[in-house]
Amino acid sequence: MVAPALLHAALWIGLPVVASVALAFTKYDVLSAPQFIGLDNFREMLDDAVFRKSIWNTVVYTFFTVPVGMLLGLLLAMALHTGLKARGIFRTAVFLPQVTATVAIALVWLWIYNPGNGLFNSVLSIFGIHGPAWLLSTSWSMPSVILVGIWQGIGMKMLIYLAALQSLPKELYEAASVDGASRVRQFFSLTLPLLKPATFFVLITSMINAFQSFDQIYVLTDGGPANSTTMMTFEIYKSAFREFRVGYACAQSLVLFALLLAFTLVNRRMMGGTRGHS
Amino acid sequence: MELKRRSVLAALGAGTAAALTGCGSGASADGGSADGPAKGEITLLTPIYEKADGKKLLEQDIIGGFHKKYPDVKVTVDYTTYTQLNEKITTAMAGGLLPDVMMMGVGWIPPFAAKKAIAELPESLAAAHDYEKRVLEPSRYDGRLYALPVVLDTRIVVYRKDHFAEAGIKKTPANWTELRAMAKQLTTKGRIGFDPFSAELRQVWETFLFANGGSLFSDDGKKVLFNDTRGVEALQFFKDLIADGSADYTKKTELGAPTNVQTGKASMMVTTSALWKQLQDQKPELLEGDTLGAFVLANRRPAMLQGGTLVTQSARSKHPAAARAFVEYLASPESILGAAKQRGSVPGMRDLGAAGTAYTKENEFVDLSLKNLGNACSEGGTAAWMEIREKIKPTLEPAIVGGQSAAKAIAELGKLAEAAIARM
Repeated sequence: MVAPALLHAALWIGLPVVASVALAFTKYDVLSAPQFIGLDNFREMLDDAVFRKSIWNTVVYTFFTVPVGMLLGLLLAMALHTGLKARGIFRTAVFLPQVTATVAIALVWLWIYNPGNGLFNSVLSIFGIHGPAWLLSTSWSMPSVILVGIWQGIGMKMLIYLAALQSLPKELYEAASVDGASRVRQFFSLTLPLLKPATFFVLITSMINAFQSFDQIYVLTDGGPANSTTMMTFEIYKSAFREFRVGYACAQSLVLFALLLAFTLVNRRMMGGTRGHS
Repeated sequence: MELKRRSVLAALGAGTAAALTGCGSGASADGGSADGPAKGEITLLTPIYEKADGKKLLEQDIIGGFHKKYPDVKVTVDYTTYTQLNEKITTAMAGGLLPDVMMMGVGWIPPFAAKKAIAELPESLAAAHDYEKRVLEPSRYDGRLYALPVVLDTRIVVYRKDHFAEAGIKKTPANWTELRAMAKQLTTKGRIGFDPFSAELRQVWETFLFANGGSLFSDDGKKVLFNDTRGVEALQFFKDLIADGSADYTKKTELGAPTNVQTGKASMMVTTSALWKQLQDQKPELLEGDTLGAFVLANRRPAMLQGGTLVTQSARSKHPAAARAFVEYLASPESILGAAKQRGSVPGMRDLGAAGTAYTKENEFVDLSLKNLGNACSEGGTAAWMEIREKIKPTLEPAIVGGQSAAKAIAELGKLAEAAIARM
């Protein structure tokens, strides 16, 4: 029974992973056979200012999109859990960005951010404010991309939190009410600790998603202006597909993997894993 | 159990080795002989013939005509854009499915020819039509012919005659000093005097570099030449325009959107001959009213960037005779005039008959480009171009939108280009 799954994993996960690791130590441009170059790709990465910038940008993007998105997701889930009217419509509306193609979403945001006739600047102009060129300014481009990331990710976070909230035991809340605990006290002493496994899951998956953000950068900014929005995945894509440096791209991918692994382990240790409060 | 684990690991290792060797195996392939009858099923990868009219032109007129001549050849078309052309080619090569015939940009030939991914074409094809001598230069690598031009896209400066008249300017600028002064003078009433940024930054900077007497690389493509004072001055000129307030990076327009000269938000802009076609569709009154003029950028010398689309034959085609026949057909007068008209581009040969003459006279930007082919310069010229071209915009942008100096940005770009060439 295990054999088909093992074969599948070996072919579609194991082989590419092994190939990526092997290629990371080669000079490979797709046009000619790979040449072993030892650690040269990693040494070059140390001098690659743009890749360093992309690591920083990825961390900044993750730092803002994940906690803010989680907070908003939780608030929305609680609103839906407490009997909001037209819950179905509201839930669909919040979840829609998650299931819509990012390219389509990014095109809409391109219009929203258009400095001439975009939605944001049109609204600002009503109040006499001359809005910036959101995606063409080095100061505003990253916040603009972060906003899209938060907006797009809320749906999934909300859904996971909502499922977790619906499975919380009602008798604990009834007991807390009998003991005279206020709603705020119930939230901090019951809901949050009980949601710990869900929070850990949302945190890890959101972080991985944030580290792998690519589509919105590809469509919205192409990593610019002046590399202000370039991310690790975008640099990996550029190295492999635009510059034909597949070996270097594989080495960059290994760094991304190592970073993700490190962040996941740190989070796991900080949050005590997936165990909830008993 | 031990045996099974070993088997799995061995299978993984063997698979990886096969994948790695398989990926690289095509490099040694040659195109095979293009002699013999043209027959078989071939694929074309093209970033042009966009939109419905482009597809109709290619599939009905061009491929239809080709089928009449070569009934035993079936052509399948794979459409893409220039932005995605690299990734299409990379994935096709990795998957061993390189299209038989590929259309590429100027500058792409040396990298692909150096790696033997595209087939050498017989020199007789260079003499088959009345090509402008300059036009075939980007089709060559190491003196040999690897591609034929389909259409050219030049970079020229288009200006508003009404804005010039309003400002009392009677002639177009002969050098950058005049250009800067005019741009400053024309910056009024909420409009910018000059918009160099709506065109691709890489190509605009190259145009300014060439106009300043500079070059990108040495003739053998192994030495970086753009990192001298002429390259720095070209970039500094953009910074000066921004400092004057007569150019604004944040006011650049997207490809296909109404341009700044079209909307009157700029008095001059760097653009291509395709703007004429765009205006015919979006604002014909500007052409009918003779509101726009065009000139070739000049400083130490006049210079016009010659980009365009070239057609090549894959070195790995299983049907080389059919692929060669199709390359020749795509670059023949009957094919290129239609492609040029559809895109508003410049045809690269002179013998296009009365229809060709009518087209080039009607599109004044094409006419200007053809008259200035002697001043044309092209990007590329090194086997490391695919890597270097991607570095130019992100390396120069910090000097334009940030506080970095032009000298530092050019030095950084030079360093990256030298490293890329050294890796070849």
